[in-house]
Amino acid sequence: MIEVSLIQKRYGGSRALDGFSLRVEKGELFGLVGPNGAGKTTLIKILSTLIRADSGSAKIAGFDVATDPLAVKSVVGYMPDQPGLYQDMRVREFLEFFADAFRIPSQRRRAVVEQALADSGLAARAESFVEELSFGMKQRLFLAKTLLHSPQVLLLDEPATGLDPLARVDLRDQLKRLNQQGITILLSSHILADLQEICSRVALIAGGKNQQDAAGNSVIELRSADSSLPRLYEVGLLQDGERAAQFAGAFSGVKVMDVEPSRILVEISGEPAQASEFLRHLVISGVQVVRFDRPPATLEQRYREVFGEKPR
Amino acid sequence: MNPMIRKELRQRMRERRGWILPSLYLLALCAIISFVYYESYKDSPGTQQGWQFGVELFLTLAYSQLALLLLMAPIFSAGALTIEKEQRTLPGLLTSLLGPVQIWWGKFAASLMFILLLLVIGIPVLSAVFAFGGVGPWEVGIVAFTTVVILGTISAISLYWSSTFRRSVHATAVSYVTVVLMTVVTLIIFGIAMSRVRTQNGWHSIPVMVKVPLYLNPLFFLTSALVPKNQLYPEWFTCLGAFVAVAALCAVLTLRNLRRSGDVA
Repeated sequence: MIEVSLIQKRYGGSRALDGFSLRVEKGELFGLVGPNGAGKTTLIKILSTLIRADSGSAKIAGFDVATDPLAVKSVVGYMPDQPGLYQDMRVREFLEFFADAFRIPSQRRRAVVEQALADSGLAARAESFVEELSFGMKQRLFLAKTLLHSPQVLLLDEPATGLDPLARVDLRDQLKRLNQQGITILLSSHILADLQEICSRVALIAGGKNQQDAAGNSVIELRSADSSLPRLYEVGLLQDGERAAQFAGAFSGVKVMDVEPSRILVEISGEPAQASEFLRHLVISGVQVVRFDRPPATLEQRYREVFGEKPR
Repeated sequence: MNPMIRKELRQRMRERRGWILPSLYLLALCAIISFVYYESYKDSPGTQQGWQFGVELFLTLAYSQLALLLLMAPIFSAGALTIEKEQRTLPGLLTSLLGPVQIWWGKFAASLMFILLLLVIGIPVLSAVFAFGGVGPWEVGIVAFTTVVILGTISAISLYWSSTFRRSVHATAVSYVTVVLMTVVTLIIFGIAMSRVRTQNGWHSIPVMVKVPLYLNPLFFLTSALVPKNQLYPEWFTCLGAFVAVAALCAVLTLRNLRRSGDVA
C-alpha cells in the first residue's frame, strides 16, 4: 500500500532523508520510530505530497506522490504533529468546509459531516467554536476532518503529542478501530508503549536512513498477523537450562536462541497451538517449568540497542 | 462557489474589523464631503456654480476614496496566507483536494470582495455629487472600474508578500512599503527624470522612458481615467496593461510559492 524506495531529501547542506526505503502492506498499522531529526516528519510530508523528494520514489495505493499528487491526496488522510484548526469557526462549519474542499458532493455532504460528528463524539459540540474545545477534542476534530473523504491510508505524525493519558488511550483505541475497518496507518511516534501496543511492525529510522537492530532487522515485528511466522518465547526454569535446551531442540519447529541456567529463549514456528504442544512436551519430559511467556517491552529494548538513548 | 471564498468571507465578517472598517470608511467619506462643502462656501458663498462644486467634490472623493482603500487593501490580503502559516492550517489546505489556484483565487476574491463592499457602501455618499451636476455615470463608472483594478493589483501584490513571508506583520509592512513605492517613489522618479528632459509640446512630447514609472502609479492611473472618453488611449490603457501585468506576475509567483510552501507549513 505504501512503497518508499531509496528516497532522498536535502535541506540546504543537511540531508533529511538519505536513501530511506519502506514497504507497508495493505491493512497494516505500521510505526515509524527514531530520534528527533531522524527524518520521520520529512518522510510523512513527502508521502502526503506537501514536499517533493530530491530523488527516489514513493507510491501510495499505486499512485506516485511526485507525479500524481491529486490521486494520492484523494486516498490519503494526513495529520501533522501540530494540527492547525480555524479557531473562529464552529465545529460543524469546519467539517463542512473540508468536506467541500475534499469535493464530497453537496447532497452527501451533510450526512458525511453528521457521521463524522457522531464518530468523533463531537455531535454535542457541533455548534461550539473550535477555540472552546479542549486539546483532546481538537485532536479528535482534526482526525474527523482527516477521515471525511474516507481515505485508504492515514499518515499520522506524532498524533499523541500533548495529549493527556486518557486522550492518548482514546486516540489509541480510535486508531485500532480504524485499522480494523481496513485503513492502512503509518504512524510516527516517540511513545514506544503506544507503538508496541497498536502497531504490527515498526521501522527504525535515524539520519534519514534505515537502521538495523542487533539481529539485522530494519523492521521490527511486533504483532504478526501471520500466525505461522516464528515467535519468541521465554521459558523460566527451576534449574538445569542445558538439559531443557536439549529437549527443546529435539521438538519439531523449535529453535533454541539462548540458554541460561534458569531460562531458555526459543523461537517457535507454526500455529499458536504449537507453543502449547511444546510446553506439554517439556513438562512431560520432566523439565521444571516455572514461567512460559513472550519477552516483554521488546521495542524499547531494541530502541535502546539501536539508538543508545532513552526515548522521550 | 469556491469553498475558500465562503470560508474567508465568513471568517472576515466575524472579525471586529468586518464592521469597524466599513464604519470608519463611511465616516471618513462623510467627513471629506463636509470639509469640501465647508471650504467651498465659507469664503465666497454663492459665487461657485453648482456643477463646478460637483466636479470639485467628485475629484476630491475619487482621490480620497482611492487613498483610503490603498491604506486598507493590505490589511485584507497581506495576512491572508501568513495567517494560515501562523495557525498551522496551511498543511490542511494543501493536502485537501483544493489546488494552489483555488486557494489563491479564494484568498484574492475574498480580499477584493471586501474592498468592493467598501466601494458599494460608499456609492450613496459618492452619488451626492449628482445633485450638483457636472459629473455623469461615465465618470463615476470609469473611476470605480479603475479603482477596482488598482486595488486588485495591490491585493495580488500583498498576497504575493503573504506567500513569501511567514509572519503577517512582515508581509503587511512590506505591502505598505510597496504601496508607498508605487504612489510616492514613482512620482519622485518621474519628477527627477522630468527635470533632466526639455519638453516643448506638453505631455505628448515627453519620452516614454520618462513616463514609465508613472504607469505604475495608482494616482496617475486614476488621473488618466478622468480625461474625456476619446482621450483614454494611450495612457489609461497603458496603465491598465501595466497593472494587470503586475497582478498576473504576482499571481504566478504566489502560486509558485504555494506549491513550495509544504516545507514551511
